[in-house]
Amino acid sequence: MANPPQPPGAPPPAQPRQKPASMARYKRELRKETKRRALEPEINFLNITAMMDMMTIILVFLLKTMTTSTASLPQSDDLKIPESVLSKEPDQEPEGVVVMVSRTQILVADNPIVPVPLDASKYGIEPRYKSGNRDAFAIDPLLKVLRDWRGKDKNTRKALGKDDASEAILVMDKRTPYRVLVEVTYTLGQAEFSKFHLMVLQNNKK
Amino acid sequence: MPLETEQLSAAQRGKVRRLSAPKELAPDDEGGELNIIPFLDIITNVLMFVLATVAVTFTTMIDSHPPSAGGRAPTTPTLNLNVIINDDGFVISAARQRVATGCRGYGSGVAVPVNKSNAPKIDDPTDPKEKPDYNDYDALKRCAEYLKTQLPEYAGEKQVAISANSDVQYKVIIRAMDALRRSEKGDDLFPEVNFGVPQ
Repeated sequence: MANPPQPPGAPPPAQPRQKPASMARYKRELRKETKRRALEPEINFLNITAMMDMMTIILVFLLKTMTTSTASLPQSDDLKIPESVLSKEPDQEPEGVVVMVSRTQILVADNPIVPVPLDASKYGIEPRYKSGNRDAFAIDPLLKVLRDWRGKDKNTRKALGKDDASEAILVMDKRTPYRVLVEVTYTLGQAEFSKFHLMVLQNNKK
Repeated sequence: MPLETEQLSAAQRGKVRRLSAPKELAPDDEGGELNIIPFLDIITNVLMFVLATVAVTFTTMIDSHPPSAGGRAPTTPTLNLNVIINDDGFVISAARQRVATGCRGYGSGVAVPVNKSNAPKIDDPTDPKEKPDYNDYDALKRCAEYLKTQLPEYAGEKQVAISANSDVQYKVIIRAMDALRRSEKGDDLFPEVNFGVPQ
């Protein structure tokens, strides 16, 4: 028997309720659908641990090199260090008091001690710093500071069981006259410094 | 009814759709690592900038000792090389005698005179006060090499005493030390330098 025609605007007739599928069928469909819609494994971060290790090592090496070679080296117009073809690395890191001789003053451990006069190439440091004697070599204020330093260094070396020889690192401007160089080294000798290191820039050009 | 042809009901289809949807990860669960790539970008840029701007200079040390006195007189012949730097060049004495001009034999004069036909060494051409250095360092090296080979007893000597006029600049001393350090073949000549006190 045919269904009677529906009037326009009337709700569609209710479909007969479908019988649910079996549990096995339902689970199978669920597994299939879960598998189909699963996201592709996505790499949302890079494993950069190895690169970080490498970068850290390079950075530490770089910083260490720069610390020993440049950080303690104040280059300015007042202090220009001479170049040398000597390319050997020091056997061990030199230790000792740093005596700096710039164009205008002499410093020990960054403390200004005496000025360097403009006419230092004739008579060296001013006579009033050399017991009033123009021809003397020992610079009195420098000698006093170096003797103090030597006294402390002697005790430290004794306590550490090292030899008794104190050392000094000389950082000098390349235009320093020989007269001043000799006065400084003579004063170092008077203060019982038995070895000194002249700091120079490496230059491998012939 | 066979399993393949069995149809799911609407409710079962909805449930399958809901349960099979991929789970959203909470921010904390996302890989469990910090995203440090922007940080690395910044660090790399800064590093490159630092490397490009910092002029790396390498320094080294020349060791020297104050002159020592005393000790017994040597029983074998010694060279006792002594170099005095003045405005005319290098005055050399060896084995207690003055070395003659040209460095062949003993006699008076400047052993290695300045050579004005050579181009002078100038560090800073913009400095008007820069004094041109006409010293002949190659000739000084050859002279030291020649003197050292005069007697077999001199072969073990490594010390040289350098002295200079008061106004000779430190860089000239260093250049002379460089010239006296090694022969042209690279053998050690006089690597140990002492400074003499000018009289």
